[in-house]
Amino acid sequence: MVVDSPETQKRLEKFRKAPMDGQALKRLVEAGLTWLRTNQQTVNALNVFPVPDGDTGTNMVLTMQSAYNEISELGHRSVDDMAAAISQGALMGARGNSGVILSQLWRGFSRGLQGQEVLDGPGLVKAFAQARDTAYKGVVRPVEGTILTVAKDIAAETEAGLKPEHDAIHVLEMAVKAAAASVERTPELLPVLKQAGVVDSGGMGLHVILEGMLRHIYGQSLDTPVASVQPLSAMDFESAMQEVEEGQDFEVVVDFYPEGELNLQSFYGKLEEMGTSIQVGEGEGMYRMHIHVPLENRYLPIDYVMDIGTITKVAMENLVAQMDEIDQKAKGDYFELTNVEPGQIAVVTVSPGPGLSRIFASLGVAAIVEGGQTMNPSTQEILAAFENLPTDKVIILPNNKNIVMAANQAKEVTVKNVQVVPSRNIPQGLSALLALDPDGDVEAVAEKMNRSLDLVKAGEITVATRSVEIDGVRCEQGEVITLLDGKLVGSAKSVEDACLRMLEKAGAKDLELITMFYGEDLNATEANRISDKVRKAYPDQEIEIQDGGQPHYQFIISVE
Amino acid sequence: MGEETTSLGSIHISPTAVATIAYHATLESYGVVGLAPKNIAEGLAHTITREPTRGVSVNYDGDNVDIEINIVVEYGTRIASVANSVANTVRYHVEKALGLRVNSINVHVAGLRVSDTD
Repeated sequence: MVVDSPETQKRLEKFRKAPMDGQALKRLVEAGLTWLRTNQQTVNALNVFPVPDGDTGTNMVLTMQSAYNEISELGHRSVDDMAAAISQGALMGARGNSGVILSQLWRGFSRGLQGQEVLDGPGLVKAFAQARDTAYKGVVRPVEGTILTVAKDIAAETEAGLKPEHDAIHVLEMAVKAAAASVERTPELLPVLKQAGVVDSGGMGLHVILEGMLRHIYGQSLDTPVASVQPLSAMDFESAMQEVEEGQDFEVVVDFYPEGELNLQSFYGKLEEMGTSIQVGEGEGMYRMHIHVPLENRYLPIDYVMDIGTITKVAMENLVAQMDEIDQKAKGDYFELTNVEPGQIAVVTVSPGPGLSRIFASLGVAAIVEGGQTMNPSTQEILAAFENLPTDKVIILPNNKNIVMAANQAKEVTVKNVQVVPSRNIPQGLSALLALDPDGDVEAVAEKMNRSLDLVKAGEITVATRSVEIDGVRCEQGEVITLLDGKLVGSAKSVEDACLRMLEKAGAKDLELITMFYGEDLNATEANRISDKVRKAYPDQEIEIQDGGQPHYQFIISVE
Repeated sequence: MGEETTSLGSIHISPTAVATIAYHATLESYGVVGLAPKNIAEGLAHTITREPTRGVSVNYDGDNVDIEINIVVEYGTRIASVANSVANTVRYHVEKALGLRVNSINVHVAGLRVSDTD
């Protein structure tokens, strides 16, 4: 981090003069959260399993968000009270493994600040030490090379490096440095990380939070993931679309090979002068740059990149027109859910995409919860979907093995007669729905649905976010991978090869109906082209193609 | 359980093996500070045999594996999240190591441990 610019020095002096009280801590937490959210995709991309699992980055953001919500309105002056409230908020919103650990870290942190009015150097060191101790108490066999190790290293380094003249900012600087070094070391401690070629995602998340706090003190921007290069597959232009600013009319994407080493600092610096929503990705020496620029600047990024390397491809889109298209598409997502009468059975289902929601709705579903692989709905969300329906008989189809648990919890906490039919994927959910008889006996219908689950085979086609070997199947980053009933069964260079491979593994030759739901990454033409190939390979089978609209998965295929 | 026939003979995977994997996966899950025996008899049996499957029971009906786990959770963590990650971790490890499909995992929170006071 650059700290020697005159503005940064001035800002630092200002910070040093003001006491670090509860309000200052609040702003630091907000900065940590903002910076984490900015880098959420980068953290998510570190997940060890090669399908987009969403986990760590998203879970940590949600936990930090809950912590910040708790304090955003608070006027506490003392850091003691403020930290206690942060800890409370983090506990309430803790999601996933990394979220729980993060909430424990905050709990220890707040305990270390007990009785402190303002944050000083020794106080912060004590808080880091308490955070480590509390976090380690929560597990019998701590796994090293995770967020726990990073917390331990932060505590150890700050303890060792503390000098009498140090204030909280000095200690925070030490902590960020220690965290960065510790994250780099995680693959040495945890073989599964080394095998996958990544650092630990939770540890990275913790580093990002602390770094965000420091960036706030230095007055550096928290909106653009500065000078970071992500894997090509992790680049997310969709989310960039949501933050299109007034006047930034054009999206420019340039693929290039830099001449010599690319100086990221100056590269980002230059791009920031031209526009916003900057992302840089890298894969096998090829760089891809993404930026939103105003109309008159639309050729600037291309000219600039031409100076530093060889351009292989340029894509330019008019964002205004694109936004209209998205609005249009959103209007087409309208669908009508079935109205249930008192005494009838209501089916609640989880759907990852608008197209699938429409199909579910047409099959008689009474409520739809949005969610899926990347965004598991909470028990609360599932509960809210059926609590207000006018009937007591409810069947839940989770359609994802990670959501079955939340569905079962929803069953526990409601007074309604809820049956969970544990569908583990979309095809199972659709197959179960065919057994629905709204006026039947709820237990009997659920039983019938249960039996129909295994009548269908489910294939999923997605792109590996990183090279990895699982279940003896090896796949390279960027390759298309095939999952059959949740298991990795093969990888291929193209989506169509992956589809054919999956169908072969599923034994489609001996079955009758193949239904292919294409995801939001494909358009109808592309999907039809692939389904034609499948039709050629399986002339005896009936093949249907549907717009599923799910994210991340190019195809969800049902074979029965 | 988990029978498989190869050209050289057959492979059996016993419920105890599954339980051992589940046991270790559980202990590595964050927020879990111990496993609790289901009842006194089981507690005694495990104390005598020292089998590392205390608090885990595995059921196998020919197709599916069902696992029950009794855990003790650290006071002050969000219990629902902890139990959720136990279920996910155990499922992942069992399915990865044995290639068996896990039908259900029931996590019972048998108690809380208060290691210090706030």
